[in-house]
Amino acid sequence: MRNGAEILKLGTLTITWWCIIFGAVWIACYLVGVALPMMLSSYDSDMARMTAETLKALTPILSVLVFIPINAMFMVLIERRALAIFTVRLGPNRVGPDGYLQTAADAVKLLFKEDITPHGADAFMFTLAPIVFFAPSIFGAMPLLAAVTNYHELFQIVNLPTGIFFILAASSVPVVGIVMGGWASNNKYSLVGGLRSAAQAISYEIPLVLSLVTICLLAGSLDVVQIAKQQSGGILNWNILGGGALRGLDAALALKFSNSAASLQQLSAMSPEQVIKSSYVEPTMAALGLAAGQESMATIIAVIAVLVLIGATFIAYGLYMTGACAEINRIPFDLPEAESELVSGYNTEYSGIKFAIFFLAEFTNLFIVASIAAVMFLGGGDCPVPAWLGNALGGPQLASVINQVLNPLIQIKLVDPPTLFAAIWVILKVYSIVFFAVLIRGTLPRFRIDQLMDFGWKRLIPLSLIVFLLVVFAREFVNVHVGS
Amino acid sequence: MATDTEVDLTPRLKTDEMLINMGPQHPATHGVLRLILTLDGEIVRHTEPILGHLHRAQEWQGQNRTWFQYQALIDRVDYLSGMFTSWAMARAAEVVDGCEVPERAEYLRVMVSEMNRITSHLLWLGTYLIDLGAMFGFPFYPFREREKLLELFEEIAGQRMMFNYIRIGGVMRNPKDAWLSKLKKFTEEFPDRVDEYEAIVTENPIFLKRTKGVGILRKELGMDYGITGPSIRASGVNIDLRRTKPYSVYPKLKFDVPVNDRDGDTFDRYIFRIREMRQSNEIIKQCLDMLPQGEISGKKQIAGLRVKAGEGFAAVESPRGTLGCYIISNGSDRAYRIKWRNPSFCNLSILPELLKNHPIADVMAIFGSIDVILPDVDR
Repeated sequence: MRNGAEILKLGTLTITWWCIIFGAVWIACYLVGVALPMMLSSYDSDMARMTAETLKALTPILSVLVFIPINAMFMVLIERRALAIFTVRLGPNRVGPDGYLQTAADAVKLLFKEDITPHGADAFMFTLAPIVFFAPSIFGAMPLLAAVTNYHELFQIVNLPTGIFFILAASSVPVVGIVMGGWASNNKYSLVGGLRSAAQAISYEIPLVLSLVTICLLAGSLDVVQIAKQQSGGILNWNILGGGALRGLDAALALKFSNSAASLQQLSAMSPEQVIKSSYVEPTMAALGLAAGQESMATIIAVIAVLVLIGATFIAYGLYMTGACAEINRIPFDLPEAESELVSGYNTEYSGIKFAIFFLAEFTNLFIVASIAAVMFLGGGDCPVPAWLGNALGGPQLASVINQVLNPLIQIKLVDPPTLFAAIWVILKVYSIVFFAVLIRGTLPRFRIDQLMDFGWKRLIPLSLIVFLLVVFAREFVNVHVGS
Repeated sequence: MATDTEVDLTPRLKTDEMLINMGPQHPATHGVLRLILTLDGEIVRHTEPILGHLHRAQEWQGQNRTWFQYQALIDRVDYLSGMFTSWAMARAAEVVDGCEVPERAEYLRVMVSEMNRITSHLLWLGTYLIDLGAMFGFPFYPFREREKLLELFEEIAGQRMMFNYIRIGGVMRNPKDAWLSKLKKFTEEFPDRVDEYEAIVTENPIFLKRTKGVGILRKELGMDYGITGPSIRASGVNIDLRRTKPYSVYPKLKFDVPVNDRDGDTFDRYIFRIREMRQSNEIIKQCLDMLPQGEISGKKQIAGLRVKAGEGFAAVESPRGTLGCYIISNGSDRAYRIKWRNPSFCNLSILPELLKNHPIADVMAIFGSIDVILPDVDR
């Protein structure tokens, strides 16, 4: 390990910043959503009650407003430090302790820079563009909050029955901002960048949406909270592994490895083999209308269907990540801002606070697509270790120790253990995806625009349609999330 | 102008060619080249390079500086391969002067020049990947090895880029044993590093898509334009002064000159530079083994250095191609006239031909692949 020391530094930096970001959000939410309403409840008046309700309702918005700027600062920092490690450099390590405050300093610098509107630019559109680019990412993040906080009572308000639909609709709006900015800048490079972005977003949104539709089909719901809840109970239940097709296996394994009375009771005292049979062979036989003697054939079909579902959902995940990379203009799909061709693309003419907003929105979008992946494919706030394995490894003991340690905080409602654990798992999942995106950025060159279009229309879209069709047929023979 | 009787045949949605001005402040033009591109959509129809933003009158300065002063200046002509510009001038002056160069000096010259070829190609490799859009990551790996060589240069010449090491009549300093062993260590591990680059780049599907079949340079066209160096060898012309017009101790050394068997595209120009680096490494290894003892300069390196009256031309094979220097001396302490033949200038002239009908994204892919150094173009 030549870079061991640097990797260690990156780790400490990450954990410190996580504590800062999520601590700040946590405390802000606690003050506004819990502590203030509790204080107000001592006054017995309508006014106080109304204020308390309003404060509670405002908590999700507040949390997002606190979270987005700090988080973007941190993501820029971690990206720069991680890239530095990939590229045998040191990275920013001067401002604050070991460079922890580099991006905060950059943000301050951008705030105080002169805000230039170029000659001949459409000033109104030029100002509107970064706002149109940034605002949807805040709206889009909202429904996810309920899913990633384990449906905490404070965040129930932002959940929508059509959550994923709303998120996708919101995430399609930023491209309007890019085209607007490119057009209003009165610069040919910006114009080409803006138009490229429009073409790219249209092409890559299709595989992205189709891959998510595949998951919605398996989940039988558009509600992100619903989809996250279905996946609880370990990695075998996650959508990335068959969208619930392995739940029967999970139940059988739980039965096999667990001796606790509760789980036995829950599973109505069947043997593991019976569980497998009831969750795989019987639905297949029912679907095909097979007679009692044809179990071997049903088994083969069930196995094939399960394998197809696992493969299809895994490919859907890959399609989603590819489409998402293109959607948020990251390497290898960063054509709208291709530096070696278009200087800086649509944001060439932007400086100061407007550029800062573009930058902020870009990283927020990265975070949001990573969160969508975490919720839709990777089980949201679910622990990847299945409960039966966790019990064997001493999970309950660990949880009770943590509960005891946190007891004083739980008493004043500062900490809610299920929400805390969900948040920790979500953070780990989302940042793993972010880190993966950084790794990609440190590895690949850029596509050419025509190759990008070829790749999108001739490869990704047919592939996503095939995956969709496979799932449509395969789920008929297996119990997936939707049937239960 | 459409009159009443004429029928207006232009379509409703008017399309027009767009004139785009790339550079001199564009982040990817490798310095201060300005290209006026006529675009049809994103396709380049016509290119007009505007040169001279970096003109420093290097030839004129040669007539107004003493030989001793000018030696220090010419490294700046091609700042990535200073050893070669020094060597070209030193050889031309030696041809005019007729002085003998000791054998040890010749070996040292070959050694440092081949090291310089590697550093130049390494920097090219990194920046070329940036041209293709790999903004982070790979571009820094070549710099890791380049740094090691630059440290060796610093030790032997006192400078990392503007070496002023090869002098008229010989070289400036004798390397220490420790330096030679460090270089030996580098040559042993360098092939593995090149394998590493190839593992990342040569197999990368996006890289292949971006480079294969892009910017094909036909053999005849390249010869017409006077292209030299790896760019033309990648198109199948066997011109390498080290072989075709051998100088110094190159005849005694064993090395291959990789030559393509077809018209080369951008990928070929990449892969031939990679192969050249491996060959250069072999040459350094042999030089280290064969390095004789003895004098390192046939001429006294003093401020009043003079070259006998006469005129002469000498050329060396620089990383970019044939680098020639023509000198007329009247026997005084400065040159009467100096003329340079710079490979970058000649190689750049092909650019409008290569760019024609390529999309704008390929402009940098092609421009980067012919490896032009702007100070070398403008002098």
